[in-house]
Amino acid sequence: MSEERNEEEIRVGVFVCHCGSNIGGVIDCKKLAEEVRNFPDVAYTEDNLYTCSENGLAAIKKAVEEHKLNRVVVASCTPRTHEPLFRECISEAGLNPYLFNFVNIRDQCTWVHMKHPEEAYDKAKDLIKMGAAKAVKLEPLDMIMVNINPAALVIGGGVAGMSAALSLSRQGFKTYIVEKEDKLGGRLNSLHKLFPYDIEATEFVGKIINNVKNAQNLEVITSSRVINIEGFIGNYEVEIDQNGNIRKLEVGAIIVAVGSSLLNPQGLFGYDGIKRITQYELEPKLKNKDLKAKEVVMIQCAGSRNDERPYCSSVCCMTALKNALTIKELNPDIHVTILFRDLYTPGTSYEEYYRKAREQGVLFVKYDEDRMPNVEENQVKVFNEYIGDEMIIAYDLLVLSTPLVANSDNKDLAQLLKVPLEANGFFLEAHVKLRPNDFATDGVYIGGSAKWPVDITETISQGYAAASRASTILSHETIEVEGATSILPEYNKSLCTGCEVCIKVCPYNAIKKNENDEIEIIQALCKGCGLCAATCTNKALVIRHFTDDQILSEIYAYGGE
Amino acid sequence: MRMEENRVSFEPKLLGFLCNWCSYAGADLAGVSRIQYPPNMRVIRVMCSGRVDPEFVIQALELGIDGVYVMGCHIGDCHYLDGNYEAIRKFDMTKKFLSFVGLDNRIRLDWVSASEGVRFGEVVSKFVEDIKALGPSPLSGDTPDQELLEKVKAIREAVSSNRMRALVGRQRKITEEENVYGEKVPEEEFDVLMDQAIKEEYDRHRILLALEKDSKSVKDLGIELNLDPSIVLEHTLTLKSRSQVDFQKIIGNTPIFMRI
Amino acid sequence: MEKVSKSALVIGGGIAGIQAALDLADMGIHVDMVEKKPCIGGRMAQLDKTFPTNDCSICILAPKLSECYRHPNITLYSYSEVQKVEGSAGNFSAEILKRARYIKEEECINCGLCVEKCPMRVEDEFDRELRKRRAIYIYYLQGVPAIMTIDKEKCLWFTKNACRICEKTCEREAIDFEQEDQIIKLENIGSIIVATGYSLIEDIDKDVLKNYGYGKFRNVVSALEFERLECASGPQGGHIKRFSDGKTPKKIAFLQCIGSRSDRVEKYCSSICCMYTTKEAMIAYEHDNELESYVFYIDMRAGGKGFQSFLRRGAAEYNIKYIKSKIAQITVDEKENPIIIYEDLDNDKITQLKVDLVVLATCIVPPQGIDNLAEILGIELNDYNFIKTTPFIPVETSKNGVFTCGCVHEPMDIPRSVAEASGAAAKAAEIIRGG
Repeated sequence: MSEERNEEEIRVGVFVCHCGSNIGGVIDCKKLAEEVRNFPDVAYTEDNLYTCSENGLAAIKKAVEEHKLNRVVVASCTPRTHEPLFRECISEAGLNPYLFNFVNIRDQCTWVHMKHPEEAYDKAKDLIKMGAAKAVKLEPLDMIMVNINPAALVIGGGVAGMSAALSLSRQGFKTYIVEKEDKLGGRLNSLHKLFPYDIEATEFVGKIINNVKNAQNLEVITSSRVINIEGFIGNYEVEIDQNGNIRKLEVGAIIVAVGSSLLNPQGLFGYDGIKRITQYELEPKLKNKDLKAKEVVMIQCAGSRNDERPYCSSVCCMTALKNALTIKELNPDIHVTILFRDLYTPGTSYEEYYRKAREQGVLFVKYDEDRMPNVEENQVKVFNEYIGDEMIIAYDLLVLSTPLVANSDNKDLAQLLKVPLEANGFFLEAHVKLRPNDFATDGVYIGGSAKWPVDITETISQGYAAASRASTILSHETIEVEGATSILPEYNKSLCTGCEVCIKVCPYNAIKKNENDEIEIIQALCKGCGLCAATCTNKALVIRHFTDDQILSEIYAYGGE
Repeated sequence: MRMEENRVSFEPKLLGFLCNWCSYAGADLAGVSRIQYPPNMRVIRVMCSGRVDPEFVIQALELGIDGVYVMGCHIGDCHYLDGNYEAIRKFDMTKKFLSFVGLDNRIRLDWVSASEGVRFGEVVSKFVEDIKALGPSPLSGDTPDQELLEKVKAIREAVSSNRMRALVGRQRKITEEENVYGEKVPEEEFDVLMDQAIKEEYDRHRILLALEKDSKSVKDLGIELNLDPSIVLEHTLTLKSRSQVDFQKIIGNTPIFMRI
Repeated sequence: MEKVSKSALVIGGGIAGIQAALDLADMGIHVDMVEKKPCIGGRMAQLDKTFPTNDCSICILAPKLSECYRHPNITLYSYSEVQKVEGSAGNFSAEILKRARYIKEEECINCGLCVEKCPMRVEDEFDRELRKRRAIYIYYLQGVPAIMTIDKEKCLWFTKNACRICEKTCEREAIDFEQEDQIIKLENIGSIIVATGYSLIEDIDKDVLKNYGYGKFRNVVSALEFERLECASGPQGGHIKRFSDGKTPKKIAFLQCIGSRSDRVEKYCSSICCMYTTKEAMIAYEHDNELESYVFYIDMRAGGKGFQSFLRRGAAEYNIKYIKSKIAQITVDEKENPIIIYEDLDNDKITQLKVDLVVLATCIVPPQGIDNLAEILGIELNDYNFIKTTPFIPVETSKNGVFTCGCVHEPMDIPRSVAEASGAAAKAAEIIRGG
């Protein structure tokens, strides 16, 4: 290890904070500061009323200069709030900010052992001894700079992809849309109206397509597929196959907006595509006003919320309501009955839509998962819980509300991007709660039904969301990433057996084998968790700022060597 | 008068590894809420509980620390997605090794969230209490149990061995993914493999340590380590194939082994 | 990308506002964030866990809070309100009322010595008045900024010209009774994002809930109150106890659609209750494995990612029974045990169930003060008094340059709020960058 390090004399300065009486009222900080001066490599100590105050910070800077300190330890509140401040302080004093170590003697010591001042004193002393021992081993680290190519690739030219691309191009970034079909628009091209505003889908999507065509900085590549992706955040090289022609794009961020697919309805409730069809097959009939039926029955959750597809597709209830209302508009005398399990119309306008459908005379009959509707040639038998008996409903058109399903080729794209899918084959975001449009891998984002079935409104906001997330990266010529990352140091290269355990264990795909078949850590992607170093079969990898050497020195300082 | 009592009653010396995002924050919240708990534990902050190398835990025990606590985010809460699963794997192996020498109940793994300030105090208090009940570690004080110390050293070397680290590191791949032949090893089968490896590597590293002091025959090793000579022979040959031991000489028909 | 000179104004420091501010700030755009409460964090900070992962809420929120506070591109005005907005998209100006905390912000280190000494006990708003705080207080323990505030309405000095104990206690001399409200003028604002979240029906009209025994029976609580009771840092330290006798409830009824989907109160669906109810029941079960939970509902609304399997798990592993029903009445027996009288829609019978505790999933309503804010901003509200948005573009308000996200325009869960927040940030950035 030491071959890299300058053999300079280590001089640790320890600053013990009274934090008023928060620490000073429980233990004798002055005595503590004097006592810790005897610890190895400690060159200077002092106690401050408030080390974080202007006076305290000035004292640190002065001591660094006067006593030629090259490591600084502050024993005070907690690093979670004050580490950045002290790092900045020693940085101003001319030291690398990573040569600072924080010792928590307030939140985890004097505050929790108020009635045991002597033991608290001993604990604080041990903690400082450990902290100083680690400080001795600290090494200067630099923040890592990554260049960013201010261009984006949006995979998928549906409404999610177009929304994302439009926003990015308006923000001034060169943006490409890669669409596998020969035209933009995605699912909306085949729909009739859009709930809950009853706007023509083609008219609506037509406007967006027009905006895309007129946008600056925005290039649409249709009839094409992504066939290879190399690189990392800010620096992706993407290969596109457009009808056999290979094209290379260089982008800084990638947005996945590939949408979803329709379920193959064969075998569901006697589906035949003529008398028993899906909502998606009903739409063109409604558009062409080509509906001959008098008795329409719709079945919700057809093929979803079961063991095979346990999820709710979330758009089907509203789709059924929309089509039921359209039918009533065409001819109020047509009977429409919707067989449902739980009607999914959350929020304000959707619930209103549901009420409207009731007012227009659409009949709702609840069925239970355990007693599925029994579809016969001209009638449906369904057990109705309200009346506690079987109802027989005649139909001349049966419409199945089938779920959106994940695209079968999601797997290929997921592999190219090194991002995960969830159990139903949809893309899996970084965190379902707080990072809904990110992947764990930086630089790759997601929006729309590729992630989970969503309606147009949510699709559009997610498209914008993905654009925003990408913009946080693309807005910078370079970005700085944490310096406390994992590395395979030159002097450890011979230890690496190439077993690839680290590649597997890394949650961020930050480790790969390079062209020389050597392990390489993409610094821009590493978050410094240290899993790889703790797992590396031959201890070749080093997690900086939390090295084995540093942690063991803390253990020795406490346990006694 | 409290001091007087303290001298007689045993105050355990404990070490805690706390992950930065949940447990360390929980410990801070205990402070902000002024939760009072016994002052026996010193904390080392790590970014993730999965960072805690088994070697750290063993090293602490070897130095006479009475108990080691590893704390991370609750399952599903890990800041690094699934680092705490890695912590479980490493911890389970460590515990199994320590069960050979009766120190397994001196280490503990637990999850404490950033909102569980009270609970942090509770689990630390419980740990202090439990370790008090166990009494001082046989490795603590001025005269640690030398024989036990040798064994723990062997464990430290064993957990750091390539084989054990590879097994732990690959566990997920082996049990969750199919190999090129479409085979997947079930969790239970893997456990059997793991247990066997733990036993073998423990014995092998004891042999290595025994040979470090001076060269010995299989028979002498068997007596010294209280192991069946046939097992010793098997291990010694494995170690030889790994280039960790070699024949030093042959006395009569008896080969004498040495550590390389 | 060249430096932009225009900034963004984010109103509301809950999870939606925070996400919008962080995205913009990370794009290199300066953000002024205004939060009415003394600390940012909003509703999410009040939650114990979040569905469907049951992540600890503050664990995942806290890093965002401090990021927001420390971000060089974000100026946070907490305990502040927007008073005036002028101009148009690309060039707004605003006036912020920064209320006096009577604390020198840069001096206070949140040590809590003053709190210990303050003699005034006041209902704790953050804990839904389930416990008392002092007149000098931090809004919540993990709150950001981590500094004290003096409640002028309750402080003895301001009400009776007596006390000032905090001033004597504070070693940092951080107390400043002379502090005054400030008006801060902000210029050159390119876009505005409104993310002021929601209120609950009990905040504006407790009478509505009387039918369900709320406010009348001690063992009837609202869902947010229950959330605080479950929380380890809440008023009962996470050990749920009845208010009548301090006993741990063994049977809890969760009543859905309280005030929502109703002809009498609010017609709309609050969107999140089915899910958080299951979560609350799960967490309660984790505290006590003998617990039986009954969820009385109309439709189970679980469309989001992983929501259906969450409900299945609730029923299979957490002893939660879902009863499709209409609640007729709630009464109590002599031991204050609530009795629920309901119409069981599975068998069409009027049935009774005696439980130990009732939790009401109360309706989400537009945040208090929305009319005033809408007037200041010149934006329209919809029929329900939420912010009116453009069809299919939920982040656009009726006024160019003013965007919105989260529950202030429609009840929604956290992931959708966060996604919309980023979406609103993208739209705001388009204008700021002159697109």
